This record gives sequence, C-alpha cells and structure tokens, in this order.
Amino acid sequence: MADSIKVKNCNLRLLKGDITDLDIESFVYYAKEDLALGSGYGTAISVRGGPTIQKELDGFGKIKTTEAVVSMAGEMKAKYIIHANGPKFQEENLPEKLKQTILTSLQKAEEKGIKAIAFPPMGAGFYGVPLEQSAEITLNTIKEYLSGETKLEDAVVCLLDNREYLPFKNKLSSLK
Amino acid sequence: MAKERSYKAQKVIDRMGKKLNRQIVGSLVACVHCGNCTDSCHYVLANPGDPTYAPAYKADKIRSIFKRHFDWTGRLFPWWVHAKSLYTDEDLEELKDTVFGKCTNCRRCTINCPMGVDLATFNRMARGLLVSVGVMPEGVSVVSKDQWEIGNQMGVLKEDYIDTLEWLTEEMQMEDPKSPGIPIDSMEADVVYSINPREVKYDPRTISDAAIIFNAAGEKWTMPAEDWDMTNFGLFSGDDDLGGGVARRLFEKVVAIKGKKLVISECGHGYRSTRCEGPNWAKQDVSFPMESSVITMLEYIKSGKIKVDKSKNPGKFTFHDSCNNARSCGLTEEPRELLRLVCDDFQEMYPNRAENFCCTGGGGAMSMSEYTPRRLKSGKVKADQLKATGAEIVVTSCHNCVDGLTDLIKHYKLDMKVTQLVNLVANALVIEKPVEVPVEEVAAPVEVTPTEVEALVLKGYKILVADDEPDFVTFVSTVLEDNGAEVVKAYDGNQALEMARKEKPDLMTLDITMPGKSGIEVFEILRSDDELASIPVCIMTGKPELRQLIYERAVKPPEGYVDKPIDEDSIVLNIRKILELDKGKVK
Ligand code: SF4
Ligand code: SF4
Repeated sequence: MADSIKVKNCNLRLLKGDITDLDIESFVYYAKEDLALGSGYGTAISVRGGPTIQKELDGFGKIKTTEAVVSMAGEMKAKYIIHANGPKFQEENLPEKLKQTILTSLQKAEEKGIKAIAFPPMGAGFYGVPLEQSAEITLNTIKEYLSGETKLEDAVVCLLDNREYLPFKNKLSSLK
Repeated sequence: MAKERSYKAQKVIDRMGKKLNRQIVGSLVACVHCGNCTDSCHYVLANPGDPTYAPAYKADKIRSIFKRHFDWTGRLFPWWVHAKSLYTDEDLEELKDTVFGKCTNCRRCTINCPMGVDLATFNRMARGLLVSVGVMPEGVSVVSKDQWEIGNQMGVLKEDYIDTLEWLTEEMQMEDPKSPGIPIDSMEADVVYSINPREVKYDPRTISDAAIIFNAAGEKWTMPAEDWDMTNFGLFSGDDDLGGGVARRLFEKVVAIKGKKLVISECGHGYRSTRCEGPNWAKQDVSFPMESSVITMLEYIKSGKIKVDKSKNPGKFTFHDSCNNARSCGLTEEPRELLRLVCDDFQEMYPNRAENFCCTGGGGAMSMSEYTPRRLKSGKVKADQLKATGAEIVVTSCHNCVDGLTDLIKHYKLDMKVTQLVNLVANALVIEKPVEVPVEEVAAPVEVTPTEVEALVLKGYKILVADDEPDFVTFVSTVLEDNGAEVVKAYDGNQALEMARKEKPDLMTLDITMPGKSGIEVFEILRSDDELASIPVCIMTGKPELRQLIYERAVKPPEGYVDKPIDEDSIVLNIRKILELDKGKVK
C-alpha cells in the first residue's frame, strides 16, 4: 500500500513520528481561537521552540474557526508554524469547516512562499474527529488543492502511531 | 410547545444511546434507593446534611437522562420515574460539576450496594459524553491532550525522558562503576519496565530505585525509548478512544522490542488501565504477561534473587490501599507481604483492603484544581484514618495516592511521610560486594574527601532562593552554598522578580505562598518574559495549590518541585537533576 503519491509536481506522503520534531519547512498546529499554545503539541512547541512563538501569536489576537496564521518556529527544526483554528468536539458543520481549515492552511503557506508543509491528522485525537473521517477529509482536500495551481513541492501528513497511520495509509492507497 | 435543546445537549443524548451496554444499563435500572451506600462515600462523610453528595443522588443525575430517553417507563411516564432530560449548556455544566467534581470513581459505594449498582461505571460514561462535546475541567483537557499528542499525560518530551534516564544511569555509575544503569530499548528483555510520567518529571528516585532492584536481581530488563507511559487518562476522562490509543502504543512497543513480560510500576490506575481495561479498549489480544512491580519485587525476595534487611527501614509504617489496586484489581495481599519483608513495624489502617477510603486524588481529581477545596475537605475521613494508625510513614503502591495523601498530610498537618514499596525495597537491599581484585594498570585514585566531592557538585552555578520564611531561605542557601553554589536571596514575590532580572540565575527555587506577588503569579510572569522564561524553576512548597501549575499549565510547567518539609538530600538531588538536564538546552 502507498505511503506516498505524486499530485502534479508535488509529493503527498505519510510519515510516522512527532510532527513538532520533523525536519521540514513548516507544519500545521491545530490551534485554539485565542492562539494559546496550551498542551499536547502546544507543549512541544513552547518547550522546543522557546517563548518567542507565543509572544508572536499574542500579537494576532483571536482568530475564527477555519482561519489560520503563520508564525516563526523559534528554535525548532521547522521554520514556520501554521496555526489553524479547526472545528472541535462534534461541532456543527464539522466536515465543511475541517475542509476549509485545511484549505486556509495551504493558502497561508503558499502566501509565505512555503514549499513544504506537514499536517497532523486534522481534528483527530483530542478534538474527537474519527480517524477515518479525518483521513478522508485531510487527504481529499490536500489532493484537490495540489491539483490546481500551486508552488508547493512537498505535502506531508505526519501520524504519531500505527493507530493513526493505518487509516491514512488505506485512504491514500485509494487516491492513487 | 416542546422545549428547545442546545446542540451540545442533543449530541450528548445521541451518544449516550451508543454507549449503553448491558453492564451500564444493569446498574442504571437496579437502584432501589435504599440508601445503603450513602455513608460509604467520603464526600458524604465530609459534608453531612448535603444530599447532593449522596451516591444515589449523583447517580440519579445520570439515571434520569437514561430513563427519559432510553427506558420505556420514562418515555411513557416521565413524572413517575423522575425522568429528566438535558436541555441547555448550563445543564451540561451542572452535570460536569457532579461527575467530575463530586465523585472520584472510587467504587466504595459499589461494594456496599446490595443491588450491585456500579456508579463509577456510568459516572465514567457520563464524563466521556461531556468530553466528547468539549465540556470538561481545564486540567482534564490539558492532560488528555498531552497524552493524545505527546504520548504521556504530563507532556514529557522524548529528549527529556531519555536525558533523565541517562542522568540516572550516570548517577548510579558514580556510586558503582559496574552498574548497568538503565538499559533503554534492549531487545528480547525478560522484563520491560513501564512507568508513570510523574516519575520522570518529579520523582526520578523511584526510577533509579527500581533500576537498582532489577540490577541487583540480575534481571535482563529494559525501559522503552518511547511509548513508555503505563498511565491512561482515558480511565478518568471516560474517553475509550484515548484509553485504546494509549494502551495500544504500549502493547505495540513491547512487541516491537520483543519483550517477554511487561512490568508496571506502582500505580493503581496505571495497573488497572494497562492490565485490566487496556486490552478491551485497544480491542487487542495481548501476547505477553503483565504484572505489577509489587509482584516482581516480592518474587525476587522470595526466590532469593535479592536479599533485604528490614532493619534498614526503621520507623512505624502503615499501608494505604489504592482504590484501583484493591477494589478493582484485588491487589491487596502481595503489597502487605512485601511490606512486612522490608520493615519491622507495620500497623494496619482501618478500614482497609477493598473497604479502604479513597486518598481523594482518584479519578483524575489531582488534575482538577477548581475542585481542590472540595477534595481537601472530603479528605477528612482519610486524614482521620491515617492519624489513628499512629504511623510515621504511610506506604502506598500508587503515584496518584502519593500526591493525594501528600496534600492531605499537609492540609491536616499530620506528622507523616508518604513513600512507596520500591523505595523501601531499594533501601533495604543487601548487596554483597564481590572481593576486589586489584588491577595493575589502574592509577591509584586521587584522595578526595566526601566534603570536597560534594562541594564540587553545584560549583559555578548561581541560584536564586525565593521564600518568605527567613529560616527556610537560610537553610536552603546553606545547603546550596555548602555544595558550591553562589546564592542570591529574595523574601517576597516582587523581590524575586527583581532579583531574577538583575542576577540572571542559572536556577531559581520558588515558594508558592509569598507576600506581594504569590509564587504562582511570579512563576507565570517569569514564563511569559522573554528574558526570564528559560530560567529553570524548582518549586519548593508545602501547599496543595502546586497541582495547578503542574496540571493546568497556562505556561510551561516548573522543571521540578520539592515538597516541604525538605531535607538536604532532596534539595541537592532535585537541583542537580534540573541543572544537569538543562545543560544541553538552547537558552
Ligand atoms: S464512587 Fe466513590 S466518590 Fe463516587 S459516589 Fe461512590 S463512594 Fe463516592
Ligand atoms: S445501595 Fe445500591 S440500591 Fe441502595 S441507594 Fe445505593 S446504589 Fe441504590
């Protein structure tokens, strides 16, 4: 089964590991409305990246669901972090909002001239989006975006463990 | 006109239908409101006259929703069976206050119910329903998100975990150059040892004590490099997906390194969720045996693999049964047998075993700081139990209980300490030193007196000590200076910040209660200040409020903490750990 496909000039691939430790130009953080980094990957960002990231985020104020902002990544391996406020906890119109959040993240990356971007399994885990649904929407949306005009060269979905990896792998195979 | 229902309330009701199983429905319908269970609950005993703490009252909050929507009696005659629905987001908040804030899921009421009603099972279900719509105490969300995304419930990053194990290995090898230390990710080990993240973060001595025991027994053992957390917040939050995800990571890791047995360090909820519930949540057969480290240590002594001398543990001891170990897993006799082998003076606490009262920190309560006053008040019965034993040291096989009991001991001003069996066994070890064969090439060691060795330990470090008790500042400063550190002092919150800015210390110790700005405020200011954010902080406190910093984490948590009263050894050990681990980091 596929771990990677090519969509026009861009690779769409899956990786297993900790997204905040990836050696990649940018990654998406599933953010909250007030952009407080908080716990989970937020802990990893504040500890590995240092306090400047939250400081920069404080300057943006609040963002609405489906919106995103780009910050520098401090001392982390990545250069940028795209903080995307995705839908949470079975909220209304979740699939549409999740799709829009992914699109906004890609557009924000593009505006910055970013060539490589990594996504987590969007909305899955703590925020309760079932993995199959997350895989379906995340991969379909990225593929659809890459089929249009884009300068992106590398799109990654980074999964933490086998439990997350397998549904994404199944979905990616069906996209080939 | 039909009453409107909020979006979230509707989602909770919809999901309840999917969560009901035979066991939950059995408990929901069986209650005859006889009141037998009322006085079993520590919340009731601490709040006489407040019916909202009675187990049957709390259960009815959930039962009434079930009756209204899923039981034919309630659908037809809601007024008759007190069926009641959820309508507003405020109703959800009220339910949250009951299911998270008034019950630790300790199951003591269950054993006193003639009808076999297991409130904790459906209380957990109700928690899970609320979590699924994002209604939960802040601490529960912080800890759950950490466990989902970092892989352990205290957000310990892989590099910090590995650094801690390597540092402990170095410490052990300083004592005994031949010590194997802590093997990480060794293949085909007979024992894979999994721990609670609290041990890495705040109690590393329990890890090195376990390592010393495994090594003394000649065990072929290892600790996993990742996926090492045997705790599972899914048990507390009611989130079965989290429960399954966490258990699966650990099980798959043991298989990946071809471990033969999984040993779970002393932790009640970790033992229950990994060994008993984990395979169900993960929907997985587990191909290797799992056991509590209590059983492992007991077997080492009984089989003669290690020798112990109980006179090394003087004092009067008692034992506190963790609810998860005793009531849910039947682990009651082995810890007592082991305790009797490593201490002389053991006094039972009454009631005990499956009848024991909760430490009040169960069910994730330690992470829910909004309920701290309630928790401490409900601990009166436990405090009385502890006091009546006349013991100086309470032993428990659970990390949660260590924190719960420590808070109660401080709050009720009991003259007691808390420890675990692993510490007592390590302390009682008799290690027969092999006869030294002199090796010619080795140069004669330079004579260094113990005081000189100690003096080198903190040399070159500047440490700021902030506390409003002058005697305490003097004591800590003397210990640090004796170990070579340069010390600067502050006696209130404002002064602490001023000195931190002026002196740029390598580390700062901080009390929580201080005049001017409290330690919590000082800590949050430090962490949000670009210049000061990277100063490592060791909290030194006698206050349960400390939990707020650890679990809620509006800012990065403290690097360490030491409980007051404090002894010299723990000051030096903790400060060294923080400084050593900080060395390699970018400032
Ligand atoms: S489970 Fe424990 S805390 Fe909850 S109602 Fe029963 S006795 Fe009280
Ligand atoms: S003892 Fe059992 S039947 Fe009686 S009130 Fe309590 S839960 Fe209900």
